[in-house]
Amino acid sequence: MDTLTVIREFLVDRLEIDPARIQPEATLEELQIDSLMLVELIFECEEKYNVVFERDVRSPKNIGELVSIVDEFVVEAQKAKQA
Amino acid sequence: MADIHRVAVTGLGVVAPSGIDARQMFGRLASGESFIQLHTIDQPPRPVTQPAIHCTGFNAEASIGKALAGTTDRSVQMALTACFEAWRDAGLTRNQEGRQDYGVSWGSALGSTSTWERGYREMWQNGRDRLPPLSVVLGMSNAAASHISIQLGLGNSSLTYVAACASAAAAIGEGFKRIRNGEARLMVTGGSDVPLAYAVMKAWDALRVVAQGDADTAPSSCRPFHPGRSGLVLGEGAATLILEEWEHARARGATILAEVVGYGTCSDHSHLVRPDREGQVRAMRLALDDGGLAPDDVDYVNAHGTATVEGDAIEVDSLRTLFGDRAARVPVSATKSMHGHLMGAGGAIEAVTTVLALVEDALPPTAHLDAIDPACEGVRHITGSALRGTDARVALSNSFAFGGCNAVLAFRKADPA
Repeated sequence: MDTLTVIREFLVDRLEIDPARIQPEATLEELQIDSLMLVELIFECEEKYNVVFERDVRSPKNIGELVSIVDEFVVEAQKAKQA
Repeated sequence: MADIHRVAVTGLGVVAPSGIDARQMFGRLASGESFIQLHTIDQPPRPVTQPAIHCTGFNAEASIGKALAGTTDRSVQMALTACFEAWRDAGLTRNQEGRQDYGVSWGSALGSTSTWERGYREMWQNGRDRLPPLSVVLGMSNAAASHISIQLGLGNSSLTYVAACASAAAAIGEGFKRIRNGEARLMVTGGSDVPLAYAVMKAWDALRVVAQGDADTAPSSCRPFHPGRSGLVLGEGAATLILEEWEHARARGATILAEVVGYGTCSDHSHLVRPDREGQVRAMRLALDDGGLAPDDVDYVNAHGTATVEGDAIEVDSLRTLFGDRAARVPVSATKSMHGHLMGAGGAIEAVTTVLALVEDALPPTAHLDAIDPACEGVRHITGSALRGTDARVALSNSFAFGGCNAVLAFRKADPA
């Protein structure tokens, strides 16, 4: 499952956001994702990919940026696990 | 010295097996109907089964929305539901701006116990080494007050009172004082608790004060003042009273259900679990003095009445001491026989019941009281169904908690405007 789908499923389930609104250019602010929900979302991604991110997530402006950060962290974490 | 303000009750809401409508609940209590059923939590290491109050029809997502339900403990979901209902009942509307003179005063003995228990199970039983990040804010003991404040826009004080079974009575009393002293115009008061967590049920069972019963006998298992009583019944739920400065309520055309006239609280300072007559009498006298009332003014007492062998006898002794020669004529009932013991929310559901007893001129009964323990004689026990047409004007609601914390509320029937 790709990261955008993971994020979309989480937000639809938790915040009942219309999935059509969860697009790469949608800002976290307009989707009303606050800092607490962002931490939960990161946790969800870690659980899905069975990794633990070693760095804090920067404040992404939009969903596309969040997807990039998560994908980058997943690669890092998987490399760390293999090392 | 600040001006003294009268305090009105203008809205009620509950979460009970009967639903969220306080009047509907009261109607069933007035007929002597028990909500108690046998309840099982089927979890390792082995199932636990007790007579209990379980709100099987409660649907958090339907009540408060999926997003809020996903970030709150069951006790908070119940708290919010009761508050939304009371807010609506009071004829209030949600205001985006919020009000700095409106606050919340909440009671809970256990807080978000279900959340913590789930966390412990995940770690120690299921072997997980991480918990969801929201666990802290789901589990914090003031979560209910915080969410109520945010959802209803209450910018005045947001405080949580933890005083075992007197938690909600203390919260209502302290909220009452804030309005009376001019520190707030409106306070959302009450309590919520969900003691139907595995370890909580086991812990109470270990104290040997929980009523026993099977599927057939569970509804009548809680028998305050009865010679065969064997203990209390744990219950989940929430109850809310909107308290409002009298003139503020009148100015907005609110229906005034009753007046809060007094609040008395004190400590037995003697023993953790053994009730104390002197402390109980003192708390009732403090509440009456606070309202400028005398024992002779009291027309009904909603007793703490948990159905423990020792507790009921001492409470009746306290009532005999307070009322003296008149005790045998003072109507008394323990409605825990029907709605169970809601722990930190107990004082709230009983305050709601007491207010409606005055409104409806119907004093609810102690259910299943077909015989009276000689140690509990000397007051006018209400049995069967509600005692109607007494024109009761003043009522006390007693909460006497473990730890020796006593809290008593005095209500007066609202005079026609």
